[in-house]
Parts: sequence; structure tokens; C-alpha cells
Amino acid sequence: MAAQLRLTRRDLKAMALSLPGALFLLFFLFLPLVTIVIYSFWRSENYTMIADWNLDNYITLLTTRTYLTFIFRSLVMSLSVSFICLVYSWPVAYFIARYGGRYRLILVLLTAAPFFTGIILRVTAMQQILGPIGVLNMFLTNMGLAPLKLLMYTNYATALGLVYLWIPFMVLAIYLSLLTFDFKLLDAAMINGAGPLRAFIEVTWPLNWIGTCIGLALVFIPTFAATITPKFLGGVNGALYGNILAHQFGATGTWALGSAMGVVLFAISSLFVYIIFKTVNLNRAGYTGKLDGE
Amino acid sequence: MAAINSKDIVLRAIQVLLLVALYIFLYFPILFITYVSFVDNIIWPFPPEWTLKWYARLLSMSDFHVGLKNSVYIGLCTAVLSTLFATSAVIGLLKYRTRWRGPMILLYISPLFVPGLLIGISTLMFNANVLGMSGKLASAIVANTTEAIAFSFLVILAQLVRYDWRMDEAAMVFGARPAQVFREVTLPTIWPAILGAFLVSFILAFNNLEISFYNLGAIPTLPTIAWGTLRHGIKPELFALASVINLLVFSIIAGLFFLIQTGLVRFGYRGE
Repeated sequence: MAAQLRLTRRDLKAMALSLPGALFLLFFLFLPLVTIVIYSFWRSENYTMIADWNLDNYITLLTTRTYLTFIFRSLVMSLSVSFICLVYSWPVAYFIARYGGRYRLILVLLTAAPFFTGIILRVTAMQQILGPIGVLNMFLTNMGLAPLKLLMYTNYATALGLVYLWIPFMVLAIYLSLLTFDFKLLDAAMINGAGPLRAFIEVTWPLNWIGTCIGLALVFIPTFAATITPKFLGGVNGALYGNILAHQFGATGTWALGSAMGVVLFAISSLFVYIIFKTVNLNRAGYTGKLDGE
Repeated sequence: MAAINSKDIVLRAIQVLLLVALYIFLYFPILFITYVSFVDNIIWPFPPEWTLKWYARLLSMSDFHVGLKNSVYIGLCTAVLSTLFATSAVIGLLKYRTRWRGPMILLYISPLFVPGLLIGISTLMFNANVLGMSGKLASAIVANTTEAIAFSFLVILAQLVRYDWRMDEAAMVFGARPAQVFREVTLPTIWPAILGAFLVSFILAFNNLEISFYNLGAIPTLPTIAWGTLRHGIKPELFALASVINLLVFSIIAGLFFLIQTGLVRFGYRGE
């Protein structure tokens, strides 16, 4: 009885300290998200919301070919960007975690630091490299070569820009996962006859799959909602779903439709995260070296 | 340890190459625009004709000063709020183990999984239509704080998992009051984590475009000025602005790194 009482007091203390921030998040993050869910069933006129419950916004969104095309384009874009980040970040994070030694912290900080300089300034920098008067094309022109049309206001430029923006998250997620990974397990696998490739596929990869999933989610979500990168690197035909979403809140003031688009954006992102984490097998991804029965 | 054979060396060399290529990819654009911000011939800046006129022009831009002031204000308020919330939450969840710990941690990091665009538009709709406070610095601060809380929480959590709470208990046994324990035992040990969270939140909110943009309407911040300038084609003043901000950000990160490296501050003191 006394023990139970003490437990509740602990609970209360924990609550008292962690509740203010939790309430703040519920009020200023989740309530607004609920608000746009509600608004997505309303109607908007001249920048005001009218409580006229209907499904028109969703019907418009899911039957208009243009909108579906934008969703599809964004999906292809963010899947490709996540994949590129994944493939590139693994060897890099692996190297830092395993062989970085006492330089580990500085090596990983150097990959993460650019993230903090802000999206708009990084896109500015990228445009100065890739744009028509960017250094890459000016260099090619000065050498008497043809400018690289492939990266001048195209979807490829957007993809490169998005990799540039978000690869720090992927490297960091995989690195943090590998930090808690016991590399001795690899030696054990090798001693038992596994080649390096097999040891990687059967030990390293599955045991770090959760960290990898977090990295995938952290890259997929912002790239699927990207607006600035496609606007400044993608050119006139490079608009993505995020751009037409943002458009509803800017020029046209069609807030209700914009809210529905936001809900769809959130739904697709959540679905992606759900599918990714469905692949996590806790028996194989849990605590390093503490599995029994395997 | 497995013996190092030639295959291993090749593999490791490839990894090093990829790492170096990543650094070049990440830093070349940043360093290049810093370089361009000091030259007159921006289109093809070789050989450079040095100048400081882009910086002079940046300083004379009318909304630059207002934007700088607003950005600093948003950054500071966001950093104070998010650090307070996150510090209190991490201590609560780590010191007093409860069954709510898992769900609470999920709640605190959930903003990481909501894209900035969505935070921007949803807080715009909520603050404008429900709370009736659109186009105010306060709504931008509140919206930025939600995202900053997640980052602060992670930074502080990462350091405090190694904190030994028995030190607090020891102080209690010797008669210290809870506030005194925090001030004299906990805080002196964990302040670097709090400082790190504060700086990270400040930088994030200071540089944020998407969340602030929707909440501010016509009020300028440095990122919205940059956005407006970029829409009208490349302006070298923007390179000057970017260089200044990058220098600020990298100094802060380098400062933190220096503090950790030199052992001036120690994370997660265990009471040897």
C-alpha cells in the first residue's frame, strides 16, 4: 500500500514537470491540426471560413487530374530523395561510427551543422551553384562547353537541393543507431563463417533498421511538404504538391481547400511512416546482443 | 579483431571518399556564396575584384534592421519557452519513472514528424480564426516553439540519460529542499545540455521561414526578407546576409564543440 502510494506520488511529480510542455504541444500543435481537419469540411469565401459542412474539398482534390498529378509527382520526388539519402548516408555514418575514434563527434557535427543555417539561405546557395548564371554553368561556358541543362531549373535540381537540405538528418539518425550497435557482433558472425556481406545483411542492417526508419521518416516528411526548394530550383514546371498547397493560403485565399490538402499531406506522410515502421521486427531490431533464442 | 586485408582497405577508402565528397557537397555552396559576397563581379568571380559594397547595401536596406530585430526576438522567446518546457519535462520523466514515460516522450518528439509547412498553415488557421491573433509576433513564437520543443527535448534527453539522480537523493538526505537540490546539484551539472538546447532552438527559430511566414503576414524577419529578395532574382546582398548568418551559426556550434572538447564542461557527470 505504502509502495503504491509512493508510486503515485512519483507519477504526480513526473506529471507536474512534464505536463506544461505537453499541454503546450496539445494546444498549439495538435489543436491547430484538428482545426484544419474541421476546416477541410467547411467552405471558404474571401478569406473567411463558413461552417457549411460538405465533402466538396476532398471531391475536388481527388477528382481533379492536376491535383492528383501533383501528389504523384511529390510522392516520386520524396521517395527518390529518401532513397538517395539512405544509400549515401549508410557508408558515411558507418565509417564515422566505426572508425571515427575520437574524431567521431566533430565528423558527425560537420555533417549536421549546415542544417542549422536555414532552408532559404541554403537554397540560395544551391541556386548560385546550379542556376543559369550559377558557377557550375558559368564554368562550363567558360570552358567552351554546353551548360548543364539537366540541373538548370528542373526536377533533378530540386531533388539535388532536397538531398542537400535533408541528408544531415539521415546521416545523424543512422549514426546514432550505430553508436549503440555492438560491432563485436560482426566479429562473432565472421568467426561463425559469415562473409562481410552476409554479416552486414543479417546482423548490422536489421539491428539498425529502426534508426534507418527514423532517418527515412525525417527525410520523407519534409521533402513531401517541400515548397521553397521546388520554387527556387525547380523552375516554372517544377512546382510540387507543397507549392499548390501554399498557393491556397497565399494568392487565392481558398483556405478550406488548402486545409483539405494539408490533411491529405498529413495522411500520406503518416501512411508512409506507418508502412515503414510496419517492417520493424522487434525481435530482430531490439537490444543489441541481448536477444535470446537466436 | 578481424585482420585487415586489402578488401577492407578498399572498402574503407570508398567510405572516406564518400565522406569527403559529402563535406564538399555540403560546404562548397556555403563557402562559395561567402566568397561571392566579397567580390564585385558576382557572375563569374574569377579573378576576384574585392568589395564590401554588398554588405554596405545590406546595412542600408530599410527592412533589414526591423527584420533582424524581429528574428532575434522570435529566436530568443522561442528558445526560452522551449528550453523551459523541455528541461522540466526531461527531468520529470527521467527522475520520476512513470508508466507515462513512453507516450510522453513520443508526444514531445512528435513535432519532428509534422512538416514545417503544415505547422505553418495550421497555426495560421488556428491563431487567426480561433484565437483571433493573426499577423502577430506572438503567434510566430508560439508556432516555432512547438517545433523547437522537440529539438530541445532530444538535446537535453541525450545528455541527461547519463545523469545520476542518486546525487539529488543524496542532497535530499542531507536536508536540501527540492528547489535547493535543483539549484545546487542538478543545474550546475546539466547546464551545458540546457545551453545546447537553448542555442539550437534559437538558431532554428531565428532561421525559420515556413512556420514564421504564415503567422507573420507583412512583418519582416531575416528569412522572409531573404525569400522576398530571392523571388526577384539573385541579389548579392542576400549572399552578404547568408554569410553573416552562417558565420553566426558556425561560431555557436564551434563554441559548443570547444566547450565539450576542452572538458570545460562535462556532460552527464556521474559523481566519480
